[in-house]
Amino acid sequence: MKKPYKLKPHICRFCSLYPLGDERIPPELMTYKNETPDLEGFPYPLPSKKSDYTCFARTGDIEWYGASTGLTRYDKNAERDEDVVMYFSADRDLYDNEIKAIMPDGENIWVLTATGAAYIEMKMISAEEKALLLLAESEKYVDRRGMKSQKRLEKLRELDSIFPYGHSDNDGSFTVGFSIGEIFRYATYKREKGADHPDTIEARKVATRAVEANLLLLHVHCRGDGFAARTYLCADEPVPDDGLFLRITDNKAVCLETTDSIKKNLAGKVIDASAEIPERLAKLFTDLGYSKNDLIYKADTSSDEITHHFLHFLIAHEYLACDDFELDELIKTSAKSLMAHIIDHGYELHDFTGEPTSWAKWSTRYFNTEFGWVDGALNSAQLLMYHLVTMKITGEEGRWRESYDYLVNELGYADMAMTHFDRLYQASLSGDYDFVEDIMYGDHMLATLAFWGLCVLETNEDLLKKYRYGFKAWRTSIEREHVPGYDLPYAIACPDEEIDLDRIAGWFYRTNCSRLAAGVSMVGRHDVAVRTRRNGYKEISALMPPDETFISKYDRNPVEYKNEDSGGTMCVESCYVYTFGYWLGRYYGFFE
Amino acid sequence: MNNKIHVVSNAHLDPIWLWRWQEGCGEVLQTFRSAVDRIKEYKGLVFTCSSASYYKWVEEIDPDLFEEIRKLVKKGKWVPVNGWWVQPDCNMPSAESFARQALYSQLYYFEKFGKICQTGYNVDSFGHNAMMPQLLNKAGMRCYVMMRPGMHENAEIPENLFWWDSADGSRVLTYRIPCSYSISGKKDIDREIPMLRERAENSGHGMMMFFGVGNHGGGPTKGDIDYLLELKEKGYEELEFSSPNEYFEEMCADRLDLPTWNDELQHHASGCYSATSLVKQLNRKAEFWLANAEKWNTVSAKLSDLPKGTEEFGKAWQEVCFNQFHDILCGCSIMEAYDDVRDSMGYAMKIAAVEENRAMLKIAGMVDTWLDGVSDSVSLNERHHCRNLKFPRPVIVFNPNSFEVETNVRTYHPSKKVEDSDGKEVIFQNIRSSRSNDSHLDTIFKAKVPALGYATYWLWHADSDFTDESVLESDIKAYELTFENKYIKAVFDDKTGGIKSLVTKENGTEYVGGEFCVPTVVDNSEPDTWAHNIFKFDKEIAKMQLESIELVECGNARAVMRVKHIYNGSYLTQDYILESESKLIRVKCRALWQEPLTILKMPVTVDGENPISTYEIPVGIIKRPCNGEEEPALTWGDITVGNEIRKGVSLISDAKYSYDCPGKTLRLTMLRNSIFADHYSDRPAADFSYCDEGLHRFEYAVYPHTGEAECSEIQKLALQLNSKLVAVPVSYHKGSMPQKKSFISINKPNIRLDAFKFCEDSSGDIVMRFRETDGNAVRTAIVCDIADAGFYADFNKFEIKTFRVDSEGYVIETDFLEGIVK
Repeated sequence: MKKPYKLKPHICRFCSLYPLGDERIPPELMTYKNETPDLEGFPYPLPSKKSDYTCFARTGDIEWYGASTGLTRYDKNAERDEDVVMYFSADRDLYDNEIKAIMPDGENIWVLTATGAAYIEMKMISAEEKALLLLAESEKYVDRRGMKSQKRLEKLRELDSIFPYGHSDNDGSFTVGFSIGEIFRYATYKREKGADHPDTIEARKVATRAVEANLLLLHVHCRGDGFAARTYLCADEPVPDDGLFLRITDNKAVCLETTDSIKKNLAGKVIDASAEIPERLAKLFTDLGYSKNDLIYKADTSSDEITHHFLHFLIAHEYLACDDFELDELIKTSAKSLMAHIIDHGYELHDFTGEPTSWAKWSTRYFNTEFGWVDGALNSAQLLMYHLVTMKITGEEGRWRESYDYLVNELGYADMAMTHFDRLYQASLSGDYDFVEDIMYGDHMLATLAFWGLCVLETNEDLLKKYRYGFKAWRTSIEREHVPGYDLPYAIACPDEEIDLDRIAGWFYRTNCSRLAAGVSMVGRHDVAVRTRRNGYKEISALMPPDETFISKYDRNPVEYKNEDSGGTMCVESCYVYTFGYWLGRYYGFFE
Repeated sequence: MNNKIHVVSNAHLDPIWLWRWQEGCGEVLQTFRSAVDRIKEYKGLVFTCSSASYYKWVEEIDPDLFEEIRKLVKKGKWVPVNGWWVQPDCNMPSAESFARQALYSQLYYFEKFGKICQTGYNVDSFGHNAMMPQLLNKAGMRCYVMMRPGMHENAEIPENLFWWDSADGSRVLTYRIPCSYSISGKKDIDREIPMLRERAENSGHGMMMFFGVGNHGGGPTKGDIDYLLELKEKGYEELEFSSPNEYFEEMCADRLDLPTWNDELQHHASGCYSATSLVKQLNRKAEFWLANAEKWNTVSAKLSDLPKGTEEFGKAWQEVCFNQFHDILCGCSIMEAYDDVRDSMGYAMKIAAVEENRAMLKIAGMVDTWLDGVSDSVSLNERHHCRNLKFPRPVIVFNPNSFEVETNVRTYHPSKKVEDSDGKEVIFQNIRSSRSNDSHLDTIFKAKVPALGYATYWLWHADSDFTDESVLESDIKAYELTFENKYIKAVFDDKTGGIKSLVTKENGTEYVGGEFCVPTVVDNSEPDTWAHNIFKFDKEIAKMQLESIELVECGNARAVMRVKHIYNGSYLTQDYILESESKLIRVKCRALWQEPLTILKMPVTVDGENPISTYEIPVGIIKRPCNGEEEPALTWGDITVGNEIRKGVSLISDAKYSYDCPGKTLRLTMLRNSIFADHYSDRPAADFSYCDEGLHRFEYAVYPHTGEAECSEIQKLALQLNSKLVAVPVSYHKGSMPQKKSFISINKPNIRLDAFKFCEDSSGDIVMRFRETDGNAVRTAIVCDIADAGFYADFNKFEIKTFRVDSEGYVIETDFLEGIVK
């Protein structure tokens, strides 16, 4: 391990927005006059065209340039290249992009635009403080009985207009991301501050609740056969017309009417739901006054969810449940049950229909289909990881080992796990598109989790070599993102590989202190080259800092040429995109 | 399992080889006519043909035939492949040349046929550099057909279908032809088809068979077609007339797990990197001159009413691209062909010279060089403007590189003092001129010129009595057999004429670990011109004998040690030049060579463990084992040794492409005197002509460094040696531009500008091409005020990127085809 990279406190933008007429806007701003900046020979790319700039102001050594297409901040003394020129744009930083005036207020500025005003503060903040601010926001606004994905807003940029309900197809996956981040926070504090420190105790509480929320998804369906639900709702939450939902009543679950269930002729189908939910997990809803009969769960679960759950079993077992026997037992039984389900169903996750779900298939019958052939590289790695995790946390081998050896030796899954880039590229050739046009960005997290698990658990040198090769086969696309949440597990799994810690530091520095989505201006930026791919997909030529690009989870191409945030502009996202990478990096000593 | 054998009819057409281009042109016309006739006669037959230059010949000479071909292309009966001007050598052209090969060809195909070539196709080229996948991808091609080296030459390369990856992350699906690209006659076909059937069965994928009379053209004969149809009837049902495009489409649809290769494809004809020095030197010179002239044309046309030179540059580059044909650039054609090559390259370079001069003078004319009172001094007594004795004369120095350069430049008059545009004195030296006329003296002075920019210097004439003598001190010292500056010290050996000590002063490191700069004569009697089946030139005949060694210059700007060696009736004179504050030693060579079947090599030996040789290749570098095999390279090669502390010496050249590295010695192959087009050394008794006989003038440089080559300044220094500053004496005039200016800013040293040109579509948009040189992924900021552009770009290691800037300064990233092909 190299010497830890020192993450220093860094400036972060805080923008308060007011509509015209708001009494908090200082009256003098409305008549404030700025000079036009002289940008002849300006030594850096500018976000707006030079002729668009009309306003100039200075705060200390910092210069501000207002244009008809946004606001530019220039700090010629900035330590880091990417901080020399910063861009502020609507809707996240400004009311709109047509700057009318910039009025300094000490180190801060007021910005008048065509339809509103913004008060912009640049505050120094440490990476850890940022993680805690983001956590607080998620706890307050995003949390849904321990699950953390995102929440929709009624009004643009107004957190208090949040809808109290709202599910995600991937509540399990996103909550796992959150949970792993918090587990590593706990582990870090425990090591650094001691187990009894209030911060450690608080971190443990947050992490434990997240783990319980995830484990509940493995039991909430009451099928008792190792299935995992995508998510669940309680009785007073509206059921969206999006997929397959089953309502539990009197130990039975009935499939509700949705477009999907009607189309598949499943509406009204009844199955057994007599299995009991472990009491400790049920408390997540019983404490709120709900009972088993208030539950509606979502089926048709994908391999995404399963992969997250298995790596989560490992991390929770190793770093949190070591101090919580009851929790550890729940993890072990959940893992064994899920693993057994997959093996017993021919390496598929079977739904209430008795058929495999749409996307949770790791069988050769799926891999031998045209679509499954490309998926085979990832899914084979996932399935092998599930086995290793199950063996590791239970300490048992037996049928898990037997199955693992069969997959490796008879079905060639370890070899197949090396073929991701080859197969994806070949598919792109036959379809006459660029391979990047077919990247499923959500798969990057799946590959990261699958190979991270494989590489840290496999002890056979030949197999380890294959898994590391397989991980590297993903880097062609993953590396483009420069996301700590991917790069750090890669460095853990493949210690001989170099990662750019300075660039990762830049990502932490330039991530905003809020996951409140509101849209940014990328389209039309003058300092960003645009590239059109073979099939028409548009990307930018350089990865821009996170505070100047859209807000998304680990499921979107960060160089996509678009303005809108991933979940739309009326949304607040989970903090885990930051906290997962940050606490992982802290725990493993990449950063201090 | 797919065991289909795709039968590809083609004709290998060498436009020059054992004949001159005029005959090659005729051969193309005849072959195309024949192919059209065969397609019409045989249902299902598809003809595959490369090289845009051939199509252009046909279009110009036989438009009716061309029209027939257009119709066949539309029907899919005729398949153009390889979106390049010819099938070039794939080791020696620069990255920019590969870009131009693609640009002019794919745009031609797009214009004439409405589509570009999907498949790269260099079936005869004698080896393929490791960055070819990127060069193909950025030309719109994702599949590749090659043949050399064959399995007998390199069995490590997968046979026959594999993924080929380059270091930047590009990839091409590659087919290596197992035997021949020109199967013809029953005997060939009978041998080939069972072999292909067996390979298809063993590999689980289909194969291609290339048939048709080739080299001097010809194409599919009736006899061959009839016989293939007969075989199909008789049980070879897997035979099907096809094209490489169709083959690759089918292979992709088959969902195969194929092996991956991520190295270069070498070696086949190791003598080709050095045979016929003339064409190599012309190629290097033309590549740099054209690229630089076009940069200045673009700058000047943006600043003034100077016409855009796009069309002229297109013509010039097409000549260069044509002469990169593998049998031409590899030096293995007949002697007479090189007379044509010299004319053709002369035409290209004349365009470069004219356009560059026009552009520079236009820019210079806008620079304010006016001095009050200067017009009073001009009198009829002054023979010419440069002898103004009352005022200094302005000289504007242009730097075509995208980084600041500080080095000596030369003007052809003596001086008393030199000042920069701020009035600050700069180091200069009056040196012996090449003329016997006049003062016999020229001036060299140290110019510091910004990236893609110019700087004005003021030179006081030597006879001027209006200024004091310069009092600047320099770091240059020289005495007897030693010279040194602040960075390096070199001591020459009075017995061998080589260097016996070379030290970098910063750390006291000694680099001489054995034979160093002692010219060595190697036997070349066994290899043919290509050096077929011979991969090492290691039979040393002699060291050249030292005739004289003399310190001929020692001044503020430089010291020069002149060393002359002789061997039989030949000589080599080398001027070792150490400039002030320079980290390398330049060596200007003059060789009169008249030794048949010999090779002249220049060795440098560094003592230490773990030697690794590193070389520049198009858009990158490559590391190779120090096994003594002859290796191709672009502008430099390097040997680096050591354990924890590494040190190395690079040899940079302005005209050569070939090196070997036996152990700890790196050797630049300076001359290789083979018989012209000596194929497998079948030599009757005759008075042959030799391809390196005569007088040669070229330059190389010795650069000592610590650490690995890629961590040193080698890329920048090699570019400086090949892309020199240009000093333009100008007049006194008023102007709107300052005396020093840069037209581009790039904030990362490993990003270099290769092309700065107008888009080929006459839109007026500017095209800029950059490449990463050191193998480090980087985010860079690029600012170019004359294009109203400033933008960020991420580069992968060794990635080449092309950007197109519109009149508003908005930028798109495109590829070699400039966004014209949608």
